[in-house]
Amino acid sequence: MLSLVEKILFVIAVGVSLYYTQVTFSKMITVVQRGQGQLNLDHLPPRLWTALRALVNQGGIIRHRPVTSLFHYFIAWGFIYYVLVNAVDVLEAFIPGFHIPGMLGNLYRLLADLLTVAVLIGMTYFLVRRFLVNSAVLTIRDNVTLHPKAAAGMRTDSLLVGGFIWGHVGFRFLGTAFLVALHGGDPWQPFASLLAAPLDGLPETAQLIGWHTSWWLAIGLILAFVPYFPYTKHAHLFVGPFNFMTRPPRRALGALDPINFEDESIEQFGATTLTDLSQTQLVDPFACIMCSRCQEVCPAYTTGKPLSPSALEINKRYHIWDQMAALAGGEADESPLLEWAISPSAVWACTTCGACLDVCPVGNKPMFDIMDIRRSQVLMASEFPAELKGAFTGLERNGNPWQMTDDRLAWTKPLDFAVPTVEENPDFEVLFWVGCAGAFDPGAQEIARATATVLHAAGVNFAVLGNDETCTGDTARRAGNEYLFYEMALGNIETLNAVGADQKKIVASCPHCLHTIGTEYADYGGHYTVLHHTQLISELIGAGRLKLNGSNQLEKVAFHDPCYLGRHNGVYDAPRLTLAQAGATLLEMDRNRSDSFCCGAGGAQMWKEEEHGSAAVNETRFAEGRATGADVLAVGCPFCARMMTDANTNAGSPMVVQDVAQLVAAALQK
Amino acid sequence: MKIIVLIKQVPDTAQLSANMNGLQLMASGPRIINPWDEYAIEEGLKLREAHGGSVTLLCLGTPDAVETLKRGLAMGADEAVLISDPQLAGGDSLATARALAAAIEKIGAYDLVIAGRSSIDGGNFATAVQVAALLAAAQLSYVAAIKAIDPAAKTITVERLMEAGRETVSSKLPAVMTVVKEINEPRYPSFMQIRKAAKKDVPVWSVADLGLDAGQVGAAGSQVKWSQIDLPPTREAQVEILEGTAEESAKALVDRLLAEKII
Ligand SMILES: Cc1cc2nc3c(=O)[nH]c(=O)nc-3n(C[C@H](O)[C@H](O)[C@H](O)COP(=O)(O)OP(=O)(O)OC[C@H]3O[C@@H](n4cnc5c(N)ncnc54)[C@H](O)[C@@H]3O)c2cc1C
Ligand code: SF4
Ligand code: SF4
Repeated sequence: MLSLVEKILFVIAVGVSLYYTQVTFSKMITVVQRGQGQLNLDHLPPRLWTALRALVNQGGIIRHRPVTSLFHYFIAWGFIYYVLVNAVDVLEAFIPGFHIPGMLGNLYRLLADLLTVAVLIGMTYFLVRRFLVNSAVLTIRDNVTLHPKAAAGMRTDSLLVGGFIWGHVGFRFLGTAFLVALHGGDPWQPFASLLAAPLDGLPETAQLIGWHTSWWLAIGLILAFVPYFPYTKHAHLFVGPFNFMTRPPRRALGALDPINFEDESIEQFGATTLTDLSQTQLVDPFACIMCSRCQEVCPAYTTGKPLSPSALEINKRYHIWDQMAALAGGEADESPLLEWAISPSAVWACTTCGACLDVCPVGNKPMFDIMDIRRSQVLMASEFPAELKGAFTGLERNGNPWQMTDDRLAWTKPLDFAVPTVEENPDFEVLFWVGCAGAFDPGAQEIARATATVLHAAGVNFAVLGNDETCTGDTARRAGNEYLFYEMALGNIETLNAVGADQKKIVASCPHCLHTIGTEYADYGGHYTVLHHTQLISELIGAGRLKLNGSNQLEKVAFHDPCYLGRHNGVYDAPRLTLAQAGATLLEMDRNRSDSFCCGAGGAQMWKEEEHGSAAVNETRFAEGRATGADVLAVGCPFCARMMTDANTNAGSPMVVQDVAQLVAAALQK
Repeated sequence: MKIIVLIKQVPDTAQLSANMNGLQLMASGPRIINPWDEYAIEEGLKLREAHGGSVTLLCLGTPDAVETLKRGLAMGADEAVLISDPQLAGGDSLATARALAAAIEKIGAYDLVIAGRSSIDGGNFATAVQVAALLAAAQLSYVAAIKAIDPAAKTITVERLMEAGRETVSSKLPAVMTVVKEINEPRYPSFMQIRKAAKKDVPVWSVADLGLDAGQVGAAGSQVKWSQIDLPPTREAQVEILEGTAEESAKALVDRLLAEKII
């Protein structure tokens, strides 16, 4: 029990704390509101459920760094429980004789006791990891743009948060031990009892003073720290779940937001400065815990490029802290993102693989920032890698990034059956979207032929658009040329709807086409059912429509998940199933399925030189495939095929790189 | 500096293979800006950025050539003028040059006229040269680099790309210059500039506006007539892919090029 003076002091302290909390939190909210658009708060019940899930499972951290994640669960669950513990502690101190009665009380105390120790162990682990071990995954390479205050700030911040947690929980633990000593033991608090043993001999007044002091330090730390929350990464505790809760809904992980080009009042396209980013992208830096999990999975960073998605978020955070008053006061922030947040080379190194989006435990979206910066660079400043100009011109004039003017049906010539166009076969059931790669790239033409051969063998009633097909605009979009994408999307939607493709199935052997047509065209009124060719083929095999040659057993095959099939669109099983059906013994690379590592072609990288780094993305990935000991590296994307084939040639390895469709076509009974 | 850039709208000859004969392509088919003229615009913009002044685009063509002028405006030019009149149809390079020269005189007080090396359709390599003669201005063709320019002293020194090498030439301004692709890398217009350009007015001048007679321009004013245009015959090419590692295939390539006496 607190004395009357203490109670009055406590009420005053709470008042002061709440006042300053309101001041700093409204600053944080005002800064977020400087961003574009709105946070999404519609459909509140499912959103709250999302937030709760993120809070409890901690954004699914256990998928990576399992040991660290385990210790983090200790702290996180302990802290969630401590909301209750703190409330009970205050009630006990205020209301004479208050306690949770009976067995419930016993269990409550037992859990508090266990979680207290869990938090202390967890926090010790993190402090040792950051300050004694100096874990390499927490450092950022020095070719990456980093805010001048970040390097030291990250350490101070960690120390502050660690100290706060240790202090709060540690003093609460000590206070409980004094209470246990005063009451002569509590079997339901084994750890507190252990600590109480040496305190037992102290005079009662000393024990009482000990409890009072500990209580004030434990609760006082909370009251002192809460207003300071927006200035530390500890805010991730609630901003993380809030971030998941208020994100815009997306049809696919990395589906980009459209721009309204018809609205003449819009003067800013993409993001040049911080406040050009959307509000949800301004929540990100407050949520960021600086764990660099995103950096660890980034194909650009891990191959030595100057891009670190975590550095981007960290820079935003330190920039905001520096300018918090000015930003909250509505002052214009003129400093370009490219000067302090991320370097131009880093912006152009992103493969849009989406790994950073997928892995971030607090729902951050660094890839979207990068895409917004590309948009402003192309649409406003016209500054981008010179090689992309060729791809843009090709898309404008020839409808493909290769600047090819050849017949889009040339790939069909070597086939011993005719591939009908939609004019020749208007009653098709499946539209085979060949894609620019399938039409023009010699390697991908093989894949297109294999796909057509399998469809033909299964008696599928299909057709192609032939010379009416043009690029989906994926390259333009990922390269920031949203206007060009917009024009191509409208043109393709018109073509597709004219042949009734919106009423039928579309099959694509290119995941980039699948993603663009299947998930992104919807924003422009194009709604299509697009299947990856492996999805259709496994269906056909399952239905007994393909006779596969049992004797021609495939050897050991490892499948490389394409980013735009797997992570972005969630298709992992169909290609594996197809391979198994075709008689392959499947091996897995270390990084597979949603952890797959990019081939290096995505995000318009295919059309430019790789940014300078220490290794090539494709060779890094290929080496991983080779390490499985498989005979065949199976791919499901013409660009992956190209990247892996190049790496295979460079490595002079005996491995074979082939698309799943090619493997199935080879296994067809003649 | 007052700079005038001559740009021509041409058929996209890269699209020739798409089942079209020459005359059809000349009459219809997708249109683009003559590729060399993009380099001329870029050089004009760079000079303006360095020395101030303005860049005016001038094109003689059919009414739809305004699209080509808009593309040039989107690259950053200040103004554009289209010379268009049914009387201009069927003009040879001299007749075209007469109209262009008259328009340049109408714009007046220019320091430099920049044109492309040649067009990808007519390919006369002559129009700009004839413009220079008609204007009695200095004529600098095949420019690969501007070494020095002094708008106040009205002098220019350029490097010309000849078959046998490079030649440095100085002259007085005003001058008419044609450029080759080595001179720069043309910029890609941003959407903001495309939107701004779309709102700009492009005046259209007729033969009468230029103070010329119908007999001086178009087919009537031309010595050269086109009776027929054919596509070049397609050449059968053989493709061979050299297998092996990068080093092996590079070596094999060099051996083959030596054997074929190409290098
Ligand atoms: C079959 C045929 C039909 C034609 N019909 C028409 C017609 O209907 N209407 C019409 O206006 N012209 C017409 N012309 C004229 C023609 O298009 C050219 O303008 C003229 O012949 C210039 O020669 P060139 O294309 O070989 O240019 P080149 O001498 O090879 O070009 C050198 C440079 O001169 C400049 N230049 C050339 N032409 C123009 C131009 N027109 N405007 C601005 N700058 C230019 C460019 O900078 C170009 O890079 C016709 C020509 C042909 C062959
Ligand atoms: S953005 Fe997410 S994954 Fe990256 S450092 Fe911040 S919290 Fe970690
Ligand atoms: S999308 Fe991929 S390449 Fe781009 S920043 Fe994220 S992890 Fe790195």
